Amino acid sequence: MVIVIGIKEVEEPKKQIPIVGSLKGILLVAKHLFEKPATVEYPETKPYIAERFKFRIFLSLDDCVGCTLCEQVCPNLTIHMQPVDRENPRNKRKIYPDVNFGTCTVCRNCEEICPTDAIYLTHEFETSRTRNSFTYSPEELQNPEDEVKR
Amino acid sequence: MNVLLRLANFFSPLTHYIAYILAYFFETLFMLIFITISLVAVIYIFRKYMARLQVRRGPNRVGKFGIFQMIADMMKLVQKESILPKKRDDLPYKVAPVVVMLGLFLGFALMPYGSFYYIGSLTVTHSSVSLVLLIAVIAIMPIGEILAGISSHNKYAMVGALRAVAKDVSFEVPMMITILALVMMASGQTSSPLNIDSIASSSRAFIAYGLVQPIGLGVFMISMIARASYSPFDLGESDSELVSGHSTEYTGMRFGIFYVGLFGSIFLGSMMVSTLYLGAYNGPFSGDVGFIYLVIKTWILVLISFTIWLSMPRIRIDKFVNFGWKYLLPASVINLILAGILTLGWSL
Repeated sequence: MVIVIGIKEVEEPKKQIPIVGSLKGILLVAKHLFEKPATVEYPETKPYIAERFKFRIFLSLDDCVGCTLCEQVCPNLTIHMQPVDRENPRNKRKIYPDVNFGTCTVCRNCEEICPTDAIYLTHEFETSRTRNSFTYSPEELQNPEDEVKR
Repeated sequence: MNVLLRLANFFSPLTHYIAYILAYFFETLFMLIFITISLVAVIYIFRKYMARLQVRRGPNRVGKFGIFQMIADMMKLVQKESILPKKRDDLPYKVAPVVVMLGLFLGFALMPYGSFYYIGSLTVTHSSVSLVLLIAVIAIMPIGEILAGISSHNKYAMVGALRAVAKDVSFEVPMMITILALVMMASGQTSSPLNIDSIASSSRAFIAYGLVQPIGLGVFMISMIARASYSPFDLGESDSELVSGHSTEYTGMRFGIFYVGLFGSIFLGSMMVSTLYLGAYNGPFSGDVGFIYLVIKTWILVLISFTIWLSMPRIRIDKFVNFGWKYLLPASVINLILAGILTLGWSL
């Protein structure tokens, strides 16, 4: 008994007329002329930012209780607690976190662990600066980006 | 009335000779200004056009829409240090960019530009054999490239120059034969068929020679693409194999001249095709706006050339030479025979 397996012979593609392919390519390239550019002229027009995109850390000094949980949970020692002379009945030790954005990986552990939602991340992402330190003091963490010393 | 006589009239309060000397001087100056503006525009529009085809924006920082980008680039090139190779052949090395530029400018000087309102004819050279002169002049630019390649003492430049020679040898012959067919057909129309101006004005009888000789138009256009050596035929400076061909060892403004020469030869080639095959400056009211017709036709061809440049891959050297000798040469001979039949049989 002979088993016939359905082997299909592979057909060679039809031989094209030489110049037609080139002309098709030219037309295909020429069609792109009428498309909108994909690039964004960045400083003038802002690129699209997704809703869940988070970058810069903000701190509400009134809500912070100085529990140091954010410092403990930070995976690469970006957050350190600093003493700040500020009257806050909920924060008896008068310590608040500062953030070094040079090492922050935006893991959002601090935001998750904060018991009073004092530390939170926002859409703001333009943190470039001329001074040689990316450390934000607790007072600076309170302000939006354009009020921070650069 | 042409631009020379207008200028001579303008300077006529001075004596006859001084008026004509000044007229010739200013005529040349106007032509140089036109060429320079055209070259800058060609490079700017190439960059914008390439960007749009690649879904980018292109230069947009220097001035509105990046118009002054070319001027900024030129100033950068002028400021750059000119690094000379140690074992160069000094005189040819320094002469080569000048030769390229000279060939380009002479080619532009021989084109018929048509007339423009009050000024009249803008044509600079009035010669009865200007077509022969033009063919002689456009053979100067490859010499500059060969000089550059050989004098640089660099293997890439040398190979690039040799490839440029192979390219020119295989594509000049079909080009000449198509021009011969054109002259043959024009000789039925005018008494001086070697004058580009009379060829251009005689093409009014049947709109354009390109309609009667479509094969000739195709062969001539392909030859012009090959002569300007851009993408399907950019063997002379194939930038992924040879660094940049004959201009490998050039820096600063000397490199800039080669760069401008490439775009200039595209513009000159498009102008030649539109002059010889697409009816030059003829059209409605060509007595007033003929120059604008010529410029529009040239720019359409330049844009077509750019599209070809940006969409075609480079072809291999042997296929390239085969294409020149085995396809274009027979096609041009067939075109010659057809043109002969049309000229004698139908007396077009």
